[in-house]
Amino acid sequence: MNELPMLHNYLVVGAILFALGTVGFLARRNLIVMFLSAEMMLQGVSLNLVAFARYRSNLQGQAFTLFIITVAACEAGIALALILMLYRRRRSLDVTLWQELREPTVEPTFDEEPLPPPPVEEPLPRLTPAGLEPVHGQETSHV
Amino acid sequence: MFDMSPYLVLIPLLPLLASALIAFLGPRFLRQHSHWPCILAVLTSCVLSILVLFSLGQHEEGPLKHSYYTWIPADNLSIAFALQADGLTAIMLTAITFIGSLIAIYSVGYMHGDPGYARFFAEISLFIFSMTGLVLADNFLLLYAFWEGVGLCSYLLIGFWFTRPSAAAAAKKAFLVTRLGDLGFFIAILMIWTGISDTLSYDSVFQFKDNSGFMTAVCLLLFCGAVGKSAQFPLHVWLPDAMEGPTPVSALIHAATMVTAGVYLVARCTPLFVQSATAQVIVASIGAFTALLAALIAVTQNDLKRVLAYSTISQLGYMFLALGCGTLAIGAATPGAAMALMSMAVVAAIFHLYTHAFFKALLFLSAGSVMHAMGNVIDMRRFSGLRKVLPRTHWTFLCGALALAGFPLLAGFWSKDEILAAALGASLEGHPYRGVYLVLFVTGVATAGLTAFYTFRAYFMTFWGEERIPPEAGHHAHESPPVMTVPLMILAAGAVFIGYVHAEPLTDWLGHFLEEHTTPLRGAGHELIPAALKYVPLASGTLMALGGIFLAWWMYVRQAGLSARLAESVPRLYQMSLNKFYFDELYSFFIIQPIIGLAEFCRVIDLYVVDGLVDIVAEIPRLFGVLFRPIQNGLTQFYALAMALGVAVFLVAMVWRMALAP
Repeated sequence: MNELPMLHNYLVVGAILFALGTVGFLARRNLIVMFLSAEMMLQGVSLNLVAFARYRSNLQGQAFTLFIITVAACEAGIALALILMLYRRRRSLDVTLWQELREPTVEPTFDEEPLPPPPVEEPLPRLTPAGLEPVHGQETSHV
Repeated sequence: MFDMSPYLVLIPLLPLLASALIAFLGPRFLRQHSHWPCILAVLTSCVLSILVLFSLGQHEEGPLKHSYYTWIPADNLSIAFALQADGLTAIMLTAITFIGSLIAIYSVGYMHGDPGYARFFAEISLFIFSMTGLVLADNFLLLYAFWEGVGLCSYLLIGFWFTRPSAAAAAKKAFLVTRLGDLGFFIAILMIWTGISDTLSYDSVFQFKDNSGFMTAVCLLLFCGAVGKSAQFPLHVWLPDAMEGPTPVSALIHAATMVTAGVYLVARCTPLFVQSATAQVIVASIGAFTALLAALIAVTQNDLKRVLAYSTISQLGYMFLALGCGTLAIGAATPGAAMALMSMAVVAAIFHLYTHAFFKALLFLSAGSVMHAMGNVIDMRRFSGLRKVLPRTHWTFLCGALALAGFPLLAGFWSKDEILAAALGASLEGHPYRGVYLVLFVTGVATAGLTAFYTFRAYFMTFWGEERIPPEAGHHAHESPPVMTVPLMILAAGAVFIGYVHAEPLTDWLGHFLEEHTTPLRGAGHELIPAALKYVPLASGTLMALGGIFLAWWMYVRQAGLSARLAESVPRLYQMSLNKFYFDELYSFFIIQPIIGLAEFCRVIDLYVVDGLVDIVAEIPRLFGVLFRPIQNGLTQFYALAMALGVAVFLVAMVWRMALAP
C-alpha cells in the first residue's frame, strides 16, 4: 500500500500549524496568545515527527513526541507563572511594555497607532441565588 | 658516647613547632599564656646546645654532621638538607639559645598586656628557629635560606607595632637595605656553584685553593651579604631605625644575635677569605672605619636606644676588623705564624661576638627597663638621676656599661684586647698590607676610648645628676617586676664573668675549643706575637677605657655644663655627628630621589603611552559596534522576527544549493 500521499497530508497539516504558530507569535502582542502560538508551533513539529515515525514504521518519533508533550506541559506551567508575575508588575499583558534589554543608547519603541481600548462589556444579569423562594407578588392572572 | 648528630635538627625544630603552635592557638586559646611554648622550646634548645658543646668535647673525629635528605636533586646541583655542628656553631648556638631564652622570659614582663602578645612570641620563636638553622646549616644554600628567614623575622619584629608609620617605615628600610647585601651574597653563592662545588657544602667549598681575582670577588660578595646583615658602612643606616621595634627585639635580634650573622658568615668562610689578602684588608678596613664612624655618631645621640644601636654597629665593626686580620698570604717563610694569626683573628672575633651578645643584650634590656618605668620615654635629656628610682636596673646597666667600655677584668676588656692584639699582629712584618693594619690598630684603640666615653655619657645622663622623671611616667615610676630584673641580673653576671672563657693570658678555653673543633683552625700555634708586644694592646685598651670613662664623668657629672659649651665651640662637628654625618640625607638625595624620579617617569609612560595604545585598540571594535547597535532595541518580537528571517535565509540557501547540485 502506498503511504506517501498519506504522509503528505500529515506534513501539510503540520506545516500549516507551524506557520500559523509563527505568524501568531510574531504578530500578536498578548503574552498568553504568544505563548499559545509557540505551543502551536511545537505541536506542528510533533505532528511531523509522528507522521514520519508512522511512515518509517518505527516508534522513535512517537516516543520523542510523548516527551515533547510532557516537557510542553511543564513549560506551560512555568510560562504561565512568569506571565502572571509580569502581569502583576504592569497590570497588562502587552509584550512591548518589556523593552529593558535594549542598548542604553537606543530609544524605546512606542506604538504609533495604539489599539482602541477594549470595549467595556455589559455586566452579566445577576441571577437570584438558588434555593430561595421568590417573593410572590399579587397574581396577575387567575386563569 | 651517645651520638648527638641525628638530633641536631631538634634545636631549630622545637622553636619552629612552638611558633606554629602559638600562631595557630595563641590569639584564641593561649592568650596570656602564649609565652609558655616559646620559653619551653627555646630552653630545651638551649639544653640541647649545651649537650652539643659537651659531646663535641668528647667527639674526636671532627664536627657532628648529619644529612637528612637531598633537598634539591637537580642535574648538576645536589643540595642536601644537612646540619653540622663544629666548635664555631656550638659557641654560636649556646649564645643564641641562652640569651634567647633569657630575653623571652624578660619579654613576659615587658610585653605584658600588649594586644599582639601571642604574635610577639610566635615571631620570636620563628626567629630562634631561623637563627639556629643558620648556624647549623651545612651548605651555602641552606645557610642562605635561613639567612633570609632571620631577615623576615627582623622585618616582622621591627614592624611589630605596624600601626605606627615610623615602625612600618623602619621595617621596610631594614628589609630593603639588607636585601641589597643579600643580593651580593646570592651572587657569591652562584659563583661558588659554578666555579667551585656542585653541592655547595662547606667541606667541598673550603678545600678550594685559588689566589686569582676570582677568590677575591667571591670573598667580597660574601662580605657584601655580611655588610648588609651586620649593618656595616655603607649599609649601616637600617640598624638605628630598627630600634622602633620592642626593646627585647632590639636586644635579641639587633644586638645579640641576628646582626652577628654576618660575622658568623665571614668567620665560617675564613678558609676562603684568608686566601685573598686584598679581600681581608677591605674587610678589616670597613670594620675599623665603621667602628670609628658609629662611635663618633654615638657620642652625640640623645636617644638611649640609639646610642646603644650605634654602639652595636661599632662593636660589629670591631669584629670585622678582627676577622680581616687573618691571612695566609703572609709570606712563605712563616706558615706557622700565618696559621697563628688566622686562628687568633677568628677567635678574637668570635670571642668578642660572644661577650658582646651578653653585655649588649644586658644594656638593651636595662634600657628597656628604664623605658618601662619612664612611660616609654627614651630621650636621655628628659630624665636623669634614676639611681634611686631604679636601683636594680642601675646596677645591671652599670655592669653592662663597664663591660662594653672595656673596664679591666670585665668581659669587653678581654675580648677587645684580643681584637687589638690581632690587628697589631697583622701589622707585623711579612704582611702585604702591614702599614694599613697599623693604622687600623690605632683606629681600634681610638674607638675603644670613644666607646668608653659614649657608654658612660649615656650612663651618667640617665642615672646621675638630679632626679628628674618625665610626666609620661605618671606617679608610678617604679622598678620593673622580677620577671624582668632576674634575667637582667643573670646577664649582668654574664657580662662580668663571661670574659673568663678566654681571658688571655689567664685562661684560653674558648680559643682551645674553637681551634680543636673547627676544621680550618685546627693545629694553629701561638708563636706569633713577641712577649714584649703582648701587653701593648692590653695597656692601650685599658688606658683608653679609663680615660673615656673619666672624661665622661668630668663632662657630665663634675662640670655638667661643659658638654654644652663644647658643642657650641665646635658647632659644625657637633651637628655632623648629631645628624649621623647626613648619611640618610645623602642616600635620599643620591639614590632614593633619582629612583623616585625614574618611577614617576615610568608612571607617566605607562599612563599615557601604554594605556593609550590599549585604549586605541579597544576603540576600534566600539566604532564598528555603532553599525549594529540600533538592532538591539529590546523588543522580543523583533528578535523573533530576525531569527525567523535568518532561518528562512538559511533554508533558501540550502535548497538553492541542493537544486544546483548535480
